[in-house]
Amino acid sequence: MTAGKRQLSMVLDLNKCIGCQTCTISCKRLWTRGDGMDYMWWNTVNTKPGRGTPRDWEQMGGGFRDGVAQPGRLPTGRDFGEAWEFNHNEVFHGGKGDKVHLEIKGEKPDWGPNWDEDQGAGDYPNAYYFYLPRICNHCTHPACLDACPRKAIMKREEDGIVLIDEDRCRGYRFCMEACPYKKIYFNHVANVAQKCIFCFPRIEQGVANACARQCPGRVRFVGYRDDEEAPIWKLVDKWKVAIPLHPEYGTDPNVFYVPPIAPPRIDANGNLDESKPRIPNEYLVSLFGPSVLDALKILEAEMSKTRGGEKSELMDLLIAYKWKEMFGGFDRDPATIEWTKG
Amino acid sequence: MEAHLASGTGVEQLLDPDDPVWARAGEDPLQLIGTPAGLQPTAAIRNTWAGKKIGAVERVQVRAVHNGEILAFRLEWDDATQNDSLTDTTAFIDAAAIALPASPDAVAATMGAPGAAVNTWYWRADEKDGGRHLLAEGLGTTRTLDSGAVRSSGVWKDGRWRVVIARALQVKTSEPVAQLEPDQVTGYAVAVWDGAQQERAGIKGFSGEWRELRLAFEPMARK
Repeated sequence: MTAGKRQLSMVLDLNKCIGCQTCTISCKRLWTRGDGMDYMWWNTVNTKPGRGTPRDWEQMGGGFRDGVAQPGRLPTGRDFGEAWEFNHNEVFHGGKGDKVHLEIKGEKPDWGPNWDEDQGAGDYPNAYYFYLPRICNHCTHPACLDACPRKAIMKREEDGIVLIDEDRCRGYRFCMEACPYKKIYFNHVANVAQKCIFCFPRIEQGVANACARQCPGRVRFVGYRDDEEAPIWKLVDKWKVAIPLHPEYGTDPNVFYVPPIAPPRIDANGNLDESKPRIPNEYLVSLFGPSVLDALKILEAEMSKTRGGEKSELMDLLIAYKWKEMFGGFDRDPATIEWTKG
Repeated sequence: MEAHLASGTGVEQLLDPDDPVWARAGEDPLQLIGTPAGLQPTAAIRNTWAGKKIGAVERVQVRAVHNGEILAFRLEWDDATQNDSLTDTTAFIDAAAIALPASPDAVAATMGAPGAAVNTWYWRADEKDGGRHLLAEGLGTTRTLDSGAVRSSGVWKDGRWRVVIARALQVKTSEPVAQLEPDQVTGYAVAVWDGAQQERAGIKGFSGEWRELRLAFEPMARK
């Protein structure tokens, strides 16, 4: 496959994510309310360490090793977390509100899309966790695209967005097996695979993705990877503090993360213990590869600069003083557009 | 195999696998073989299926009957599980198909080639009464033609599928589909997918190169 002309990217600063799921809900409201989409969350935010969504997705295979496509397996609906139905009618309209509790109808679930929220790892007082928001990575070498026997998946030349052509898709789900990030869902009503579309109808109108624009924490930067005036290029290529998740999967993702720095550890006497980080380096390396350690060093150096009263372009970028500047020019207010359903 | 001529037999009768007309047709017991993993169209499929069993259904009994206007195939095979709904992201549907060459030099194993199409009549267990009229000009090129041209029915009982797939001998279309007439000799091939084994697309049991099919042109009884 020849490289496209340009690539849209996203950078997520994990130090700012508070796990509020506003991104998740803004995506849900906009894109996954149709038939067969109940269980779909094109955007998820999970606690790490944790099993994630779908459950244990990091052990499901797919992607490439040394350029060779790896076998993958399909997550079940339970792995994703089913869309539960509640006894709302009984509680709110049946006159039994004082006797009946709100509960899930049918079998009690043992998993959901955010089941292990805030559990994390480690022991008090040095427990740790952080939130990991995920969307489709719109990879430069998409395993889903390569896997499809129908050529139903395309990577757009003009912006690198990866899309599934639902007219060509036959619901075979080889893409779901092949995606190592397990970010493709199956719509059993339409019998097609569906996933994050990087909000391309908004992007085409100059509006940033819903997950990014709605984020109260100013976590997400959006823009062209090669725009040297905008934050993406500065964070990924200039400062080298934004890195992809699981680079060893071999798909070359275009979503990047600024790795998390937790507060210092506390020793047995209640004093700060800065001899080692609260989040073990090995754990971060297992997620982001060895370059996470370099990124952390750069972040720490710039943080100490600002503590000393110096200016830091990197810190100013990450603080995102000017909200609109996070979106690489895609800062149009969607309320100024008359949207029609095509 | 000869497609038995049963003049005056209505399409609803043909679509009933238990109709007595089927007992009058000769049977072609076919051996199916799994399509090799190495010939699957993408590396991800090849590598995921390498070393796995492909072609869970190994035997299918085929009969054919036509009434001068409609040709119907009846397929019967053992399948311990009835997979006829998409109950989970991991669920796949039992299916079967008849392939016919749409031109004399069409190759079954490659699903045809540009200019030498393979015309497929497809049944899927979750598409009640329906049937798909498909055309392929090479692996991965299958497309659905006019709806309604192919009709089908399937009954699963006691670990066995009995399926009928039917289409008019002649169809009005500009597409290069198989156009048939009594007394014609053509080829046919069969594919069966076992949903319980996640078989779909090129992962299937297949009868190999064309088997001979002769469409009878006068009632057998008068021969």
